[in-house]
Amino acid sequence: MPSLPSASGTGMYYMRAAKSIRLIRQGCTNRPFYHISVTHRKRLNSQPVIEQLGSYDPMPNMYNEKLVALNLERLKFWLGNGAHVTNPVAELLGLAGFFPIHPRSYMTAWRNRKTEKERVAAEEAEKAKAESS
Amino acid sequence: MISNNGLLKRAWPMITQSAEAHRKPRWLPVAKSKIYRIPKRPVVSEEERLELSRINNNYNTQMRAIRRFFNDEMIREKSSLESDTSELSLKLEAEEWARCVELNEQWNAQVAAEREERRKQELAAMEEYALTRMEAKDKEIKERIEKASIAIKTQTELSASFITPENLDEAIDKALANPVDHNFAIDLKGNMYPGRDTPIKLQEEKQQKTAEAATA
Repeated sequence: MPSLPSASGTGMYYMRAAKSIRLIRQGCTNRPFYHISVTHRKRLNSQPVIEQLGSYDPMPNMYNEKLVALNLERLKFWLGNGAHVTNPVAELLGLAGFFPIHPRSYMTAWRNRKTEKERVAAEEAEKAKAESS
Repeated sequence: MISNNGLLKRAWPMITQSAEAHRKPRWLPVAKSKIYRIPKRPVVSEEERLELSRINNNYNTQMRAIRRFFNDEMIREKSSLESDTSELSLKLEAEEWARCVELNEQWNAQVAAEREERRKQELAAMEEYALTRMEAKDKEIKERIEKASIAIKTQTELSASFITPENLDEAIDKALANPVDHNFAIDLKGNMYPGRDTPIKLQEEKQQKTAEAATA
């Protein structure tokens, strides 16, 4: 029976193993909450992590903010030690300014702009049609 | 912990919980509502694709540079920490050495003070011991002298009555003249009759007379 692992990290790791900094989903049903932590790449998300480097709350709070916490000191250490970074974490770090902006962020941005433009254009067209008729 | 035997015999109702989210096992067949699903192929326009590849290449280059930079920094830090010749490490070593020396001096001072105390105490003890022994010796000698002097005194007192060759004749004459008789008789009443030949008076005499008359 897998019990809940220590979420802030055991600090134990194999020096030569492949490590990655990724989002580990914690939280409850219909309420995700991610821990940004460094683990061995082959480990499951339910197994203990090496160290927690921050958190990410995807549900916007009452001020419409999605809160992210980052421990940059330890992040630098683990990057120096050769830890890979997964795409979501890379996107977050790009938005934070620690990494360059991820291509995916650019992609989502221009797609959103496109859809917004199209939506606005469609609204305008509808309004014009409504006015004309 | 939970024994194997207990598990086998199902001795108590076991309720298990899993911390993992449920996933359909891979050996179960696909559900009927899902078997004819065709995933939609994402449509990426040509310009978008080109733009994406360009920014991806740029991004990868930059990420490689960043990773290499962090790696180099880590190596540099590690080498500086472990090296024995770097300035910083030498300074640290010197500081550490100075601190240790100072601490050692402190300890030495403490121990010296304790030693001094102990030495003084031991010296005092030795002196006292020697003093007591000397006193005891003196007392013993004095006692001996006293005893000897007493003996001498008694002897000198007694010597007055010693019989010397000069006093010999006189002593013999005196002794012959004064014989000492230790014999005595004692009757039931407690009357003592000293002397070997002392006659016993009254009733004893009458009895003697009657005894003499009877025998005669």
